[in-house]
Amino acid sequence: MEYPRQITVIQATAVLVSTIIGVGILPLPLFAVRGADTGAPLLTFAAILFASLGLWLITKLGIRFPNQTIIEYSEDIIGKYLAWIGSVFIIGFFALVTSLAAREFGEVVVTSILKKTPLEVTVLVMLLLAVYSSRNDITTFAYIHHLYLPIIVFPGLLIVIFSLKNTEVLNLLPIWGNEHSGMLTGYFTVSALFQGFFVLTMVIPAMRSPEKAMKSSFWGMFIAGGLYFLIVIAAVGAFGSQEIKLLLWPTLELAKTTSLPANILERLDAAFLVVWVIAVFTTLLSTYYLTVHSMSKLFRLRDHKLFSWFVLPFVFVMAMLPENVLQMYEIIEIVGRNGLYITIAYPCILLVVAIIRKKGGKRNGGSKMAQKD
Amino acid sequence: MGAARWRKRIKVGCLILGLLSLLTGCWDRLEIEERAVILGISIDKAEPEEMKEEKEVSHLKGKYPTPKKGSMRITVQIAVPGRIPLGPGETGGGGKGGGQKSVWVLDVVGHTIDDAVMNLQQQISAQLFFGHLRVIVVSQEVAKDGLQDINDYFRRSPEVRRLTWMMISKGKAGELMKATPELERVPTLYLISTMDQAVRMGKFPNDFVGQFWSNSSKKGQEPYLPFVDIEKKGNMSISGMAFFKGEKMVGVTKPLEIGIYMEMLGMNPGGYQAFVEVPGTSGLVVYNVTHRKSNIDVQIKNGKPHITIKNHLEGDLREKSNGQFTLNGKSIQGIENQMEMATEKGFKDLFEKTQKKGSDIFGFGEIVRAKHARYWNKQIKTNKNWQKMFKEITLESSSIIEVRRVGMKAN
Repeated sequence: MEYPRQITVIQATAVLVSTIIGVGILPLPLFAVRGADTGAPLLTFAAILFASLGLWLITKLGIRFPNQTIIEYSEDIIGKYLAWIGSVFIIGFFALVTSLAAREFGEVVVTSILKKTPLEVTVLVMLLLAVYSSRNDITTFAYIHHLYLPIIVFPGLLIVIFSLKNTEVLNLLPIWGNEHSGMLTGYFTVSALFQGFFVLTMVIPAMRSPEKAMKSSFWGMFIAGGLYFLIVIAAVGAFGSQEIKLLLWPTLELAKTTSLPANILERLDAAFLVVWVIAVFTTLLSTYYLTVHSMSKLFRLRDHKLFSWFVLPFVFVMAMLPENVLQMYEIIEIVGRNGLYITIAYPCILLVVAIIRKKGGKRNGGSKMAQKD
Repeated sequence: MGAARWRKRIKVGCLILGLLSLLTGCWDRLEIEERAVILGISIDKAEPEEMKEEKEVSHLKGKYPTPKKGSMRITVQIAVPGRIPLGPGETGGGGKGGGQKSVWVLDVVGHTIDDAVMNLQQQISAQLFFGHLRVIVVSQEVAKDGLQDINDYFRRSPEVRRLTWMMISKGKAGELMKATPELERVPTLYLISTMDQAVRMGKFPNDFVGQFWSNSSKKGQEPYLPFVDIEKKGNMSISGMAFFKGEKMVGVTKPLEIGIYMEMLGMNPGGYQAFVEVPGTSGLVVYNVTHRKSNIDVQIKNGKPHITIKNHLEGDLREKSNGQFTLNGKSIQGIENQMEMATEKGFKDLFEKTQKKGSDIFGFGEIVRAKHARYWNKQIKTNKNWQKMFKEITLESSSIIEVRRVGMKAN
């Protein structure tokens, strides 16, 4: 057995939550409002459901093939060559996602906090951290997420709760929104912010009891989606949908406007950014790990450490490609939306084919497990 | 053996090199003395002659594009490091007696805000820092020409907080920056505490610049700002509410009308007083509002929104003048009735005043958008259309006014 099966349900949930909550939290209300005006919370909710569908698919697949990642079982399902194409897309996509997230992180930092630090330094430092941490095995990887989870979720929730007091109900009405142009685009863009859930395909084979994976999917999406949903409500409620259209990072503005009671902290943006840096780190770690881990699986290597440094230059160069912050967001939106083919449509095809061809399933997986245990 | 030793040495060397990087500080390190912390900024219109003093910092005359219209003089208050009193006990070397001022007031001209700020940066050594900006004062003249460029600059700047106050000054805005009120050692802090206290006492809605921006973005609402005036001793009085149509200031209310505005929208706490005639006598009483509640309902009648306001005020009597009458349950009833009529008239007057300018500072349009979305989507859709429609909507109000207490005097 490659990995000791040590990851618990709670750890898997932690991996999901801290992977999903990432750099996208800052522009989230903007994307949602562009799609549906005051209907932004509803749009976000629908997007969460859509992402949940994807998560459900890969969890189902994971339970069907409890000892394999998507790279491996796709070969069983649709044959080696087709699966190879799919896997290359997955690897390329997550490498791209990593680089764009790192770049987005750098842009926020350079714009709002460290104005003189070169972008390259910020991005590289973050990537180095992710690379270094990705050299651990998957159990340690899960522990890292488990450790950071409370640091991300609780302060995040606290900020949202304190900012909810600035909410004006009128800003959230009508819940369907006034204008619906660009609704579909916005819907997929927001759904794409949840694509980190894909990391579960890599976690399930290391779970102590993979059959309980559905539980962690549910809670993972519930916590991360809930936080995102609340943030959209708080931002739209506080600023109004039209004002959000003028703000590049509404969530950061929200933290700037929110103060703790009794003048303990006059603005929460510093506290928020600290939490956010950790959230970005865990996301980068996950997507980078997924890239590297999938590559090693694809080339049948026992260990992924070889690739962990090898991929870094490519990711870094890709991160440097966008010319400016607006172009970067255009790229992020396009990449994100098209990524849904990889993270939702592809698993859907796999599951359908697996059911038709009667691949995997309890009988198969059960016997394998029995052998290995 | 030798190789192993070398390997060890290299490892230790690398470790030391790695540790070296921990000795460095932050890349963006900037000592507080090297920072010019701007506490307040004011924006006035500059005359063409004044513009001659402009240095060519962000453009060269005639060679690079310059904005066609607009020339402004900004006045800033820069905190002098070490002289800002940090606590109540600290003398800080400031105050009037020492002759040392805690802030340095500078003014400079420019075509736009950033142009002026860059001109200012060119003449002072420290780097300008807007993170502690508390007050932006804009003169009436500038506000009437429109605030979009000013809003753009401050929205774009990552340092400016949304909890800053923006206000419109009656005269030269720069005077407010130069004023030195006695109560606070830092003049800007006095301005800000004036506004904070006004909000706390119910004299003005909590309308910090973030709120102003949100209101100006909303399709069914127009923004408003405090309208201030400088008094003899360098103090500031809130002399009304400047209301806008889009980005342009179109009018100003009387101070009491701020109270009426807050009553219409039921904003608490109540903080305004008004004279009321006591029916049947020549006497007057002063009624002080303590609690406001308001219920606004919008209906579409004949294709136009119709607003119904049900208003409930609670308060007490503060003063009786020319008082040849006794206060009792019955006369208080009369006072309440009198007040109710006066309030309704007050509502009507303020409503018509803003209606004439097409400036919906009440946000009735937002209620239409939120609660009558189908009507809004079909008939109105844009801010422009609502500005037009606002002139045609009708208002109906009824109020219930209660006098709860009369102070320590028995009648």
